[in-house]
Amino acid sequence: MRKTYKDYIGMLVFLLPAIVLFAAFFLYPVGYVVVTSLLKWDGITKATFVGLNNYKLIFTDEVFLTSIKNNIIWALAGGLIQVPLALMIALILARKPRGWKIFRTVYFFPNIISGVALAMMWSAIFNDEYGVLNGLLRIIGLESLQRNWLGDLHSAFPSLIIYWLFYIGYFMIIILAEISSIPETYYEAASIDGASKLKQDLFITIPLCKGSISTCMTLAMVYGLRQFEQVYMLTNGGPANKTSVMVLYLYKQIQNYRYGMANASGVVLIIIGALVIITIKKLFRVEKYQM
Amino acid sequence: MSKTQRILALLLAVVMLTGLAACSKPNTETGTAANTSEEPQKEITINFPSIWVGKDSKAGIMSELISAFNQENTGKIKVVVEEIGDYQAYRDKMRTNITTGNVPDVFTFDNASETQLFFRSDKLMDLSSYLNEGWKNDFIASAIKDVTFDNKIMAIPYEFGVTPVWYNTRLLEKANVTEIPKTYTEFFDMCEKLKAAGIAPTSQMTGENAWTSMLWYSQLVVAIGGPDVYKNGFDDPAFLEAAKIMQKMYQYTTKDAVGATAGVSAGHWINERTAIFMNGPWFVGRLKNEGVNNMYDVVEVAPAPVYEGGKGQEGGYIGFIQAYIGAAKQTDKAKEAAVVKFLKYITSPENVKKVSLASGAMFVVKFDLGSADNVEKLQAQMIEQSNKAPYIVPHFQGNVKPAVASEFPQALSGLILGDKTPEKFIEQLKRADSM
Repeated sequence: MRKTYKDYIGMLVFLLPAIVLFAAFFLYPVGYVVVTSLLKWDGITKATFVGLNNYKLIFTDEVFLTSIKNNIIWALAGGLIQVPLALMIALILARKPRGWKIFRTVYFFPNIISGVALAMMWSAIFNDEYGVLNGLLRIIGLESLQRNWLGDLHSAFPSLIIYWLFYIGYFMIIILAEISSIPETYYEAASIDGASKLKQDLFITIPLCKGSISTCMTLAMVYGLRQFEQVYMLTNGGPANKTSVMVLYLYKQIQNYRYGMANASGVVLIIIGALVIITIKKLFRVEKYQM
Repeated sequence: MSKTQRILALLLAVVMLTGLAACSKPNTETGTAANTSEEPQKEITINFPSIWVGKDSKAGIMSELISAFNQENTGKIKVVVEEIGDYQAYRDKMRTNITTGNVPDVFTFDNASETQLFFRSDKLMDLSSYLNEGWKNDFIASAIKDVTFDNKIMAIPYEFGVTPVWYNTRLLEKANVTEIPKTYTEFFDMCEKLKAAGIAPTSQMTGENAWTSMLWYSQLVVAIGGPDVYKNGFDDPAFLEAAKIMQKMYQYTTKDAVGATAGVSAGHWINERTAIFMNGPWFVGRLKNEGVNNMYDVVEVAPAPVYEGGKGQEGGYIGFIQAYIGAAKQTDKAKEAAVVKFLKYITSPENVKKVSLASGAMFVVKFDLGSADNVEKLQAQMIEQSNKAPYIVPHFQGNVKPAVASEFPQALSGLILGDKTPEKFIEQLKRADSM
């Protein structure tokens, strides 16, 4: 049936609120960021057009390059370590071993605590003088490993990432929900054919959870790219800018009244984020399974 | 689509657009562009985001003064305090407010390097006419120069700070140190003795803005290069030499100094885990309240040591205006008058004296102290020493661009951990300065 002029008007009216919101809260800010990235602007006095100079400045700044590298490592750790860990736990809990509900709650619990509170707790754990970690190492006779975890050039960044990797609850719940929607009959048939539990997981559960795994990977990697509060709270990018990330870099440019450079780094962040999402979508071209 | 559905959709769209429009509606209650001249009887609200809250030594007395002001002006003026206890959060909020043109009616700022930028914003109230009526005679003349831009007085200079070295004499005695060091050679000898006695000599930090270590670096730069050192920029060899001394200084501190915040650094000192600290008079209140084992009684303050062969002099001090009070430009004359009335109230010598005696803080507002006034021991020592000082030079952070001040903690941690040589440390600061 051909759509009439009135139908198009009706569609437009229905879409208008969404279009207005999308334009106001997404297109306009992004456009504004792109335009102001071409300005030398302190946010207070008049801005001057400098073309691509801000991009030249950030790409010749060692700290910005370190920030990109750290974000990429963080994103990859999220996608390649955190999500597989969440998948593994979800597969175990999906078999409903004794106390599985308690474990599910325990794993998810950190997700309802504020990131700032967690960061403060970990700051105390990693402290060189009174930290739990060094105390534990002392008790088990590994004094030689004691260090100022967040104030050491070599351990600061790994410390930041490692603690964060254990917070898998969010992804675990997504995957667990997907597993629960797989019909029991698939497993019954596989059992009759003699498939072990491991084979059932490898050839039934994981392929059928591809969609949610892809979602988790996207979320984990994007989270890795927009990481800020943990770094800000725990190290503020130090020591020696070794733990700097792109959003923190952007924030510091704003603190220094370099709004043009801040927005240039924002544009780079948007581009990298878009590339990551496109890549994951391409890698996980989710097939449709008939249930 | 039925007619009813279309009408409903249209209504929804209108409601959402109205909602958006409402979001951008200026706040006429506390906004800077409020014009209430048609309703002169209405109580004027002054919005005052305050950092003097929570654990701040001025929190109690400030709260009392503001309550008294509100009481005196019931029905006419009401000062509403927005409590922001975190310095960095406060700075970020004020910066954002000024950038977006949403300047609070009254606010404070503490970074001398930012003042000129704020003044150029054309969003601050020109206080010249009020101060020139005689009000400015209450202030130290040089402080008024600091807030004069384009022949206009754009803010009120308020709290002043000097940053001597604070020594815990009880811990010094444990290490058989009986005299406060006069030179850096004596200072490091003392550090060696303290270390041998199992006491971490100094409190240092590279976290946040590296405040305590930044003050030490400021002292060293002036002790080596003299009071005019900042005129020469980073090419002055004093900056490099001071960096080398900082490396040595970090051999005499706690293990967690790299990455430590102000809370950690000050916490070590007031808990007697370190013997030497550097901070300003505002810390007196905290020392009295939180210092362990009646620590206040055993603390002495002194100017930083002299650097042998340096251009600095004995007794030289680092000092700076720690708080300026700014006010938003007003279009409503009644509100402007109310804001000025409040500013005059909190900067009156009588009230400033109350704040000073209660907190130990120092001010650029002049007031008389009588023999009956209970001046804190340490505050009295600081006043006496700063009066005798051959010069008082602002700290490093106040002498450089915000970008350099922001890069300093990172450059310092790199220097201490051996990631950067002193020369590379200076290069890093120079680069931040040039961007």
